[in-house]
Amino acid sequence: MFSHSSICRLGREQADCSPYDKEQVEKILRYGSPVGSCIEHHTELDRCMDRLRGLLSEKDKESGSLSTGTVIRADTLKCSAGRFQRSWHAPSGGLYLAMAWADTLLPDFNRLLPFAIGIACHELVASLGVSARLKWVNDVLVRGRKISGVLCETIISGSCERYHLIGIGININNREFPPELKNIATSVARETGQEHDLNDICLNLLARLQWNIGLLYYGEELFLTADEKQRENSNPVFKRWLSLSDTRGRRVVYGYDVQLNPLYEARVLNIDKDGSLVMELEDGSRIVESSGEVVYL
Amino acid sequence: MNSDTIHFDELFSKYRTDPYNYVDSYAVHAGTIRFMVEKEAEVLGVSGEWNHVPGSSLYEITRERNPKMITSRTNGTVSYLNKDLDGQFVEAGTRLMTIRHPLKKKEVIEAILQEVLYLFTAPERARYFFSMDIQAKIDQKGIRSIFINPGDEIITMSLMKRDTPVYYDGEAGVLHSVYFNPGESVDDGAALIGVCPEERVAVVQKIINRVKAEWES
Repeated sequence: MFSHSSICRLGREQADCSPYDKEQVEKILRYGSPVGSCIEHHTELDRCMDRLRGLLSEKDKESGSLSTGTVIRADTLKCSAGRFQRSWHAPSGGLYLAMAWADTLLPDFNRLLPFAIGIACHELVASLGVSARLKWVNDVLVRGRKISGVLCETIISGSCERYHLIGIGININNREFPPELKNIATSVARETGQEHDLNDICLNLLARLQWNIGLLYYGEELFLTADEKQRENSNPVFKRWLSLSDTRGRRVVYGYDVQLNPLYEARVLNIDKDGSLVMELEDGSRIVESSGEVVYL
Repeated sequence: MNSDTIHFDELFSKYRTDPYNYVDSYAVHAGTIRFMVEKEAEVLGVSGEWNHVPGSSLYEITRERNPKMITSRTNGTVSYLNKDLDGQFVEAGTRLMTIRHPLKKKEVIEAILQEVLYLFTAPERARYFFSMDIQAKIDQKGIRSIFINPGDEIITMSLMKRDTPVYYDGEAGVLHSVYFNPGESVDDGAALIGVCPEERVAVVQKIINRVKAEWES
């Protein structure tokens, strides 16, 4: 495995292509620097999220705190699950990790954390030559097939500290999918015909997480120091997400658990600056949703 | 509040004499106000299967040349209107008008219950559902079988595909009323559940029965 300083070094190299000046880049990288502060690598786990929860409990017993940015990575997962306990196919060849991040953002910026994670996943697959788009909130799709998924939960430790647990699964070298996923999932290897070293890929992703989480904090700093008029301007993370997403203008089916209980069809008019989905129903009325999920029609 | 302090006759007579709820409307932010209603106007609340059809327009507020139309969330009559503010700049939180909403029998029961139960409210505008343990118990035995203690993880809040457990911080008691449908969007500060101390459950049931028997509609 690689060291924390390797992540920071790569993050700095990647930042060379950013539109920010040197001082801004330093701030953004500093904010995101805890990503990967501790890394555990397992050949096999039930779930990375469960291991993180276990570490949090251990720290509670020791009256300590888990380092923010702690990452658990596994080569394969035996009991992986997505939202609503949906099964997530996690054979070897994919990148699977979970990260604990202390909840230190203001609520308005906390809302955008899942967006920042989605951007990092998108940037990773794009850097491998895959043309992908983000679907609200953070699914990365390639021609309608899912290549990466994110699971975000917030928990309160026994010592009353709030952590976000962020689970990420990205299909990299795995090419085969079970029949139920065959037509809705894809991988980098299937799209490009190339396989990659998963250590390099993990390093690449963590560097991108450093940048995008750092950018979220930098956006919060801008918000806190701006006057009311400047505050109206979009957060840099949100602007970046919009540029990578194809959700606006799409006809969708919306539901809280859209697979089990689709609620209605609508057209996506916009994404509000707080991340909410603004949709138009068949009768022309508008509806705003800040949770749930969509399937493209 | 203990069972001795539930002055049901007083509560009941309050709603008998004045069977309305008074909903104040405040400026959502600083800006210039233009009223869209007159005093005594009838207004409609939100409607539609997903509560997506806005109610009657109440006022327009303009800040930095960005006008925003504010609509009524409840039906009723405009019983108070600060007409002097029409066309004026107001600060956020200025009281602009009051809507008098006529209460139905079900709403009277709820209003009385909300005075006698401990209400646990939504920390943010989000979608809420019961934690898996609580939902399983509700499915098996119904809501009144659930006893809640402070610190219990009772609800999960879902916002932007991020799930957060919500811990109960009120007085211990029986889960008496549920004010949300699991998976539905709930406004910040709206009541999620009402909890009743075990010794008061019978008294509360008496209240409900009496309102059901004595209220006409």
